[in-house]
Amino acid sequence: MAMSAPHPDIQEAARLWAIRVQDPAFADWDGFTQWLEADPAHNAAYETALDDEAWAVDLLAAAPPVAAVAPESQPRRSWWLPAGAAAAAALAVIGGWAVLDRDAPAQQIATAPGEHRTIELADGSTLALNGGTRVTIDPDTPRQVVLEQGEARFAVHHDASDPFVVLSGGTRLVDAGTVFNVVRDGDALEVAVAEGAVIYAPGPDEVRLAPGDTLKSAGKGARPVLGKANPQAIGSWASGELYFDKPTLDQVARDLSRSLGRPVRTDRGGERLASTGTLILGGTPEEVIARAGPLLGVKFVANGEGWTMSPAHGPPR
Amino acid sequence: MNPGDDISGLQRVILNERSRLLRFLAARGVGDDAEDALHDLWQRVAAAPTQPIADPLSYLFRAAENLVRDRRRSTVSRDRRHQDWHETMPGEEAPTGERALIARERLREVQATLAALGPRVELVFRKCRLDGLGQAAIARELGVSLSSVEKDLQKAYRALAQLRVKFDAE
Repeated sequence: MAMSAPHPDIQEAARLWAIRVQDPAFADWDGFTQWLEADPAHNAAYETALDDEAWAVDLLAAAPPVAAVAPESQPRRSWWLPAGAAAAAALAVIGGWAVLDRDAPAQQIATAPGEHRTIELADGSTLALNGGTRVTIDPDTPRQVVLEQGEARFAVHHDASDPFVVLSGGTRLVDAGTVFNVVRDGDALEVAVAEGAVIYAPGPDEVRLAPGDTLKSAGKGARPVLGKANPQAIGSWASGELYFDKPTLDQVARDLSRSLGRPVRTDRGGERLASTGTLILGGTPEEVIARAGPLLGVKFVANGEGWTMSPAHGPPR
Repeated sequence: MNPGDDISGLQRVILNERSRLLRFLAARGVGDDAEDALHDLWQRVAAAPTQPIADPLSYLFRAAENLVRDRRRSTVSRDRRHQDWHETMPGEEAPTGERALIARERLREVQATLAALGPRVELVFRKCRLDGLGQAAIARELGVSLSSVEKDLQKAYRALAQLRVKFDAE
């Protein structure tokens, strides 16, 4: 590089922009444009930052894999625990942990309503099953899982030469990345990607989903509808919490029923709540319901085994 | 119904936000070719899947950024092909064995540089740039704030840039 090196401050700023722009959640394109326009040296410094970074990544990517790159520096689940909260109670939500061995015949694994279970596959991929879920896993095809019903969060060991496939209701989902959540409710299918990417229905009409993308399909052949979700919230139930972002009452009822294992019904399903928040699933179902009311702005009336839910400020019924 | 609906939706956004996109492309070093680049963007959008996109403007800026990178990459590789052709003539190129040795040595230094920044910086950098995780996902996984992920990445980028300057001087 015979070019005169830009000022160190410019280099530092350029690297910070390179870091930010590279992130899939980046949105400050006008800010970036303004910075670039302020001085022609900025774009040159930005290009240098991209080159330096690509150079190091190319070298590292070509390196033979290193066993255990770095220690898991933090307990993995620490982030979602409210400071000093009852960790034991919250952890109790996360159910059994099973490791499948390769020679076993195909098996169907089902969770009872309210039960969470984590399954580790031979390749190190894990799937967390929410309550009321049924999957079929055949050890002969270790990179394929059939989701018959319910909700599962997949944290997939990505291998481009041998993609991980989820089959659900005749639809194929091919992982092109790492963490995604799939809900099968009757014929309807919902996919949300937390990290990496997923290809929905590979073929001429395939849809590539990036982090934060969601896709809903009413059934096979129905036109899929794309949306956005907070990537942090996707599959959050697998770590003992539910994140709601202006949900419909139907969505809340379904998520609560599955996580609590007790029926939560509503007569006003399509109605959308204005609230956003994270519900920690620790404690008894009654305690969770007691927290959910004020958080979401809904009221619950005990109804046999479960509850009937309605908006808190709705007309009396 | 009509498969063209969503495409024209995105292209409509290009028309509406034309000046912002042009400004970005020009600032991004495309200069006088900005109009031409915008036309490329228009055609790329036409080839994109026909699904609705949640944030079309951000999608278009991202596509424009990728377009600039692709253009630059093809210019660089054209120059390099040209250069390689010339370089093979005088026969002064380092033998393959020696080149592999240099590459291995550089890799070792890159690894040592990252390791010297501490296990978390290295882990964050690898997760971000080799595993392709978003910064929010990394922050969540490690139980640290988004800004400390960004600071870790800055440390890694800074150290790698310094290392590259050192190599180029050798």
